[in-house]
Amino acid sequence: MKKERSKKYRFLQILRILSQAGFFSLFFYLLFVTHFTGKDYIGRVEVFFHFDPLLAVATSLAARAIFASFVLAAITIVITFVAGRFICGWVCPLGAVQQFFSFIFKRAKLLKPKMDGRSRLAWKYYILIFVLVGSIFTLDLVGIFDPLSFLYRSFATGIIPGFARASSAFIAILYSLRLSSVGDALAQFFSAISLNQTFRQGFLLSLLFFGVVLLNISKERFWCRYLCPAGALLGLFSRWNVGKIRIDLDKCIKCNLCTLHCETQANPYPNEEWRSSECVYCYTCAAICPTNAVSFPVKAAPEKIESVDLSRRKLIFTTLLSIIAVPFFRITPAGKRASAKLIRPPGALPEPKFLQKCVKCGECMKACPTNALQPALEEAGPEGIWTPVLTPKIGYCEYYCSLCTQVCPTGAIKELTIEEKIKVKIGTAWVNKNRCIPYALGSPCIVCEEHCPTSPKAIKLVKNQALLPDGTVRTQLAPVVDLDLCIGCGICETKCPVVDDPAIYVTSVGESRSEKNRLLLELIKPPVQAEEAK
Amino acid sequence: MNRRDFLKDLALGSVLLRFTPSLLTQAKNIPDLAMIQGDSPALITKEALAALGGMNRFVAKGDNVMIKPNIGWDRTPELAACTNPEVIKTLVELCFEAGAKEVTVMDNTTNQAQRCYARSGIADAAKAAGAKVPFVNPYRLKKMALRGEWLKEWEVFTEFVEADKLINVPIAKHHSLSRLTMSMKNWLGAIGGARNQLHQKLDEAMVDLAAFFKPTLTVLDAYRILVRNGPQGGRTSDVKLQKTIVAGVDYVAVDTLGTGFFGLKPEELPCLGIAQKRGLGQMNLEKLTIEKRTV
Repeated sequence: MKKERSKKYRFLQILRILSQAGFFSLFFYLLFVTHFTGKDYIGRVEVFFHFDPLLAVATSLAARAIFASFVLAAITIVITFVAGRFICGWVCPLGAVQQFFSFIFKRAKLLKPKMDGRSRLAWKYYILIFVLVGSIFTLDLVGIFDPLSFLYRSFATGIIPGFARASSAFIAILYSLRLSSVGDALAQFFSAISLNQTFRQGFLLSLLFFGVVLLNISKERFWCRYLCPAGALLGLFSRWNVGKIRIDLDKCIKCNLCTLHCETQANPYPNEEWRSSECVYCYTCAAICPTNAVSFPVKAAPEKIESVDLSRRKLIFTTLLSIIAVPFFRITPAGKRASAKLIRPPGALPEPKFLQKCVKCGECMKACPTNALQPALEEAGPEGIWTPVLTPKIGYCEYYCSLCTQVCPTGAIKELTIEEKIKVKIGTAWVNKNRCIPYALGSPCIVCEEHCPTSPKAIKLVKNQALLPDGTVRTQLAPVVDLDLCIGCGICETKCPVVDDPAIYVTSVGESRSEKNRLLLELIKPPVQAEEAK
Repeated sequence: MNRRDFLKDLALGSVLLRFTPSLLTQAKNIPDLAMIQGDSPALITKEALAALGGMNRFVAKGDNVMIKPNIGWDRTPELAACTNPEVIKTLVELCFEAGAKEVTVMDNTTNQAQRCYARSGIADAAKAAGAKVPFVNPYRLKKMALRGEWLKEWEVFTEFVEADKLINVPIAKHHSLSRLTMSMKNWLGAIGGARNQLHQKLDEAMVDLAAFFKPTLTVLDAYRILVRNGPQGGRTSDVKLQKTIVAGVDYVAVDTLGTGFFGLKPEELPCLGIAQKRGLGQMNLEKLTIEKRTV
């Protein structure tokens, strides 16, 4: 038998690696440019998400809405119908990360591919069912498991902040080595690209990402094999595709290398047991075959063949589990009474609608110029984990900025022009007179009033007599909030000199998106968003 | 330059600054202050400098010049929260004409720096004239001895201290605590640290900072002035078109003259009294020669 590896598939393999690198770079580039670059309007940097059929299906189900922008996901579905899970193997940026690290771990001999008799491939289908059934009952958990959301969120709130902090340390070293001109150049570069460095749960979210990367030590493309619900969805579509594997039994020496090294456990050998729904067309099997026996001929007539065994019992069980889970996700006061700290970005839809649409991707958090938007932990209940919450102690809502509303891929934050945005009230500021410097200590301050961006200012100054510890009285100008003018941007809280627990703080009450979270009835104006929708 | 040399230079410089202008005045009849009114911000800036004897009087060949505008806020020029970009551009050009080697324009902003630099129009205008417009660099922030009466030490961006010549270009605006913000208040943008704590004794802090930075020249932009809702404003109705530039070496005098635009008396601004008492400048306008012109 002539031993010869296929040049054609080696070439296709290289092409696939280039494609993965290209699409990962595109994904990263779009993430990288999601910040203020000198223009008020940023363009469609979120477009990657619109090619994701899982987000399209789950969010449409949960929000009971059809999204025009998700029309692009149809392209992904059509490609998958015709050609199989090409998108997973050639385009998906998380797939690229998985494959890259699988390769590294294999090279480092940390990962030794083994034949896997037990099939856990069904996991991802159960996750898919769980997510989709939840969506039918308006519980939108897709953002937790969706590969693009997962990757974007991990980068925006974990990996990039970590990188930015490492760069800061590096720049500090440059200065200590008296390389200050290099240091200056780097410091200017990092200022210009404004990387947000502070995230609650940033440690946890990075850990999750590294965890998913490390899982590749156990199995190649662990996420893609066992966990990815988007891959599962494409797997369902790919059963009838026209590109099937064919092993030339005359050439085959039954070495099993193809099955051993299959990235996604699609089981190339024996031919009849190949799982069309699992193959991502990475062409590892065809390229590795020592006798050039594996090929992927295009067959005009699609045929349905072997796929993952999904036991009917387990499917019914998962469906039931998801239905049962829905009410449990909602045993939370979040739905009963507005949470004071649940300050949503301007343009955010009313809370139940917002949760149905938000896919927790972190685009808004990356775009925010002041690092104000933070991933929620418990403020919005369990289903609202990692949704954006404005945290004025960390950053404030920049008055003339509407970037977060422009980058939201699902419209959970409605796109607003600058003129529309400055009319939106996201909360209300309150003075804590027990801690406010003029009220409590009788010293001048007015920092909050100085920073208040509305005109006329929502923070007014009145003369106040403070009683000092020695019994004397000192009169100072002290802040009072005009509820009618305050938009809740939070710059007062961010800039308050009482650093640990700011003496002026914003709560969500009065937010224009809510009909319930209101205060003085006489201040209620016709809702801005309803007006604009017309 | 080490610290000792720096302090020596500072002492020498302050002595020189104190006496040079008056000597020059005697020699050439140069006024203490120029107050030029006109429709073009660029033209009145040029005329003000010409009246003071030209930029050559302040900037020597090969100098590294630092220009300190107010770029504090994410506001466009017509809202008069930041220094007029045309004034900055003109000053950069004049510095280069006088032989400056390098001109830097920089401010520690209050709103996000990228937004302030871009939307104030200052970054583009200054770059067009050939200046460097970097963001403040936290690695160049050093705690320095200010030796002020209240502020003994504070974090300062060293570029402002290391420049050969320092030109302060504030915009005249309303402020709730110091009444107005002009040249002395503008120094809060040259420092870092917890600036919001300086408000507890803002007038003293402003004077200490002004005494520390000792600008070569002060050019007060009163083309558009903010008469209420300062220091940010937000509506064009907060803005008054004054179409004036006030320039001089004596920043106390410059601020005193600026007070008049707001219908206030100099005595109503505590910082002026404190500064005069410390011998930093003159707030009695009758003792000064002022060239007032409309172009």
